[in-house]
Amino acid sequence: MGDGQLEQLQRFVVDAIRGGPSPVEPEHVRESARGMTPAERVEVYREQYRIRHHKNLADDYPTLAWAIGGAEPFTGLVDEYLAAHPPRTWDLQRLGADMPEFVGNHAKWGSSARACDAARLDWAFMEIFDAPDAPPFDTSVLASTPEDRWPEARIELLPALRLVAMQSALQQVRDALRAGHQPAEPPQAETRVVVWRDKACFLRHVAVDPGAYDLLARLRAGDPLGPACEAAARAAGEDAARFGERVGAWFAQWTANAWIARVHV
Amino acid sequence: MGWRQRNAIPDLGVGVGFRTPHVTHVLSQRPPMEWFEIISENYFAEGGIQRANLERLASAYRVVPHGVSLSIGGTDALDTKYLARLRDLVQRLDAPWCSDHLCFTGWGGVDVHDLLPMPMTRESLAHVVERVKRVQGTIERPFALENASSYLEWRGSTMAEHDFLAEIAERADCGILLDVNNVYVSAYNHGFDARAYVDAIPADRVAQIHVAGHTDKGGYLLDTHSAHVRDEVWDLYRRALRRAGPTSTLVEWDEDIPAWDVLAAEAERTRAVRAEALGGAAAARKEGEWVTAS
Repeated sequence: MGDGQLEQLQRFVVDAIRGGPSPVEPEHVRESARGMTPAERVEVYREQYRIRHHKNLADDYPTLAWAIGGAEPFTGLVDEYLAAHPPRTWDLQRLGADMPEFVGNHAKWGSSARACDAARLDWAFMEIFDAPDAPPFDTSVLASTPEDRWPEARIELLPALRLVAMQSALQQVRDALRAGHQPAEPPQAETRVVVWRDKACFLRHVAVDPGAYDLLARLRAGDPLGPACEAAARAAGEDAARFGERVGAWFAQWTANAWIARVHV
Repeated sequence: MGWRQRNAIPDLGVGVGFRTPHVTHVLSQRPPMEWFEIISENYFAEGGIQRANLERLASAYRVVPHGVSLSIGGTDALDTKYLARLRDLVQRLDAPWCSDHLCFTGWGGVDVHDLLPMPMTRESLAHVVERVKRVQGTIERPFALENASSYLEWRGSTMAEHDFLAEIAERADCGILLDVNNVYVSAYNHGFDARAYVDAIPADRVAQIHVAGHTDKGGYLLDTHSAHVRDEVWDLYRRALRRAGPTSTLVEWDEDIPAWDVLAAEAERTRAVRAEALGGAAAARKEGEWVTAS
């Protein structure tokens, strides 16, 4: 073997493992002492590649698998996904990072709100699993900030928090699946869910009021509190003063849930 | 002075892998165990349960990181972000060494998450030596290369695997993680002499030994870490110990993971085999030296 052949061989075997149509060039691989052909020997790695990544994505996307009809269609979807998005990082936690977009653009499932919502919900849980920690929120800032400064305050949410809007309550399906139960058909209603990792590192979720969800989304985007509240009130078709009262109650809940990482005044 | 002495590689005794089914038991009950090995990449994140659990584990036990994704033999550039995280992990744990496999894990930006065998040539050897030096320079800790199980052999290979590994270790001045189960599996699959392999490994570079179970797939053995250690592998372990002397040993069990008591019993059996192989004083040194949580 001469210079440059190391890279050539590595390319060959990686392509073969990923499942190229006729990947085996027998001149590269020896027959085994026990009679396995070069193709059979490469097949050991091909099989492990498939087993490993299918299992990984099945663990990561239980709601999506349910939403598209179970293990068989999910296997087909994963085969397509791995062909389009081969693993490009050492981090297996990120293997399914492109799945929500892939499902959204999929010829069969892209038009299924249930499949698209399920993919985004499952991925939200994956993202919060190892998102950066945040230092404990200093609640003294709530009392020490002058009232007239609050409209310009920017609220930084917990890094391990995601917002998921869905057309049905798929979080109930996910809960059932993770508990090993057969899920019931979820209520068909616009559902807004906050998914977060709590202080004890438990992954949690809660359905929230659409107005609260909208406000959280605006705050997450970096809007100051005052304009965010006004825009959310308008979007909800509510009087600003009445909406402001609700914001107070929401803030108490958000603080209790430790969703607020910092307040920048 | 040999590599182990120069790098003050300690004999930690017998440990096990820190795996999800045992996390609650280990962290709450803190059972006797001399040390734990972790999969490095599982603890690279900046937050979350894994990192929190590792802090609790490391407060009670010695912990050594063992990687699966460095791709030391890969022709893609070494991942500097990966190395920075490994360095951070090793330093947080104050680990006496860390390890990964003599293999490549992908090409062209694709990571197949498997330990692919290197063609054993002079070109490969020079390539790996250079990369090991870079890794050791970055992490500033002793680094050990593990012999991986393999299921294919390259026609272009010009060296025996044990010579390939030994020369890399010598030229890169790194350690060796000798996995005697992997030696057995590859010897079976490729038809070489496992005992000759063990005998050819430079004993003073063996930082650690792995023992594990494997699966007979009919026609080949698969390194599944899913069963008790086989007698043939115990024999290789004894042989390795007699050459290397007291060496940190890790029981790997990563699939069909049994109850803690079963794993702890496998570790206990490893201690017994180790004591028998080493005999007398060297083995007795470890008796009663459990690392028990305070």
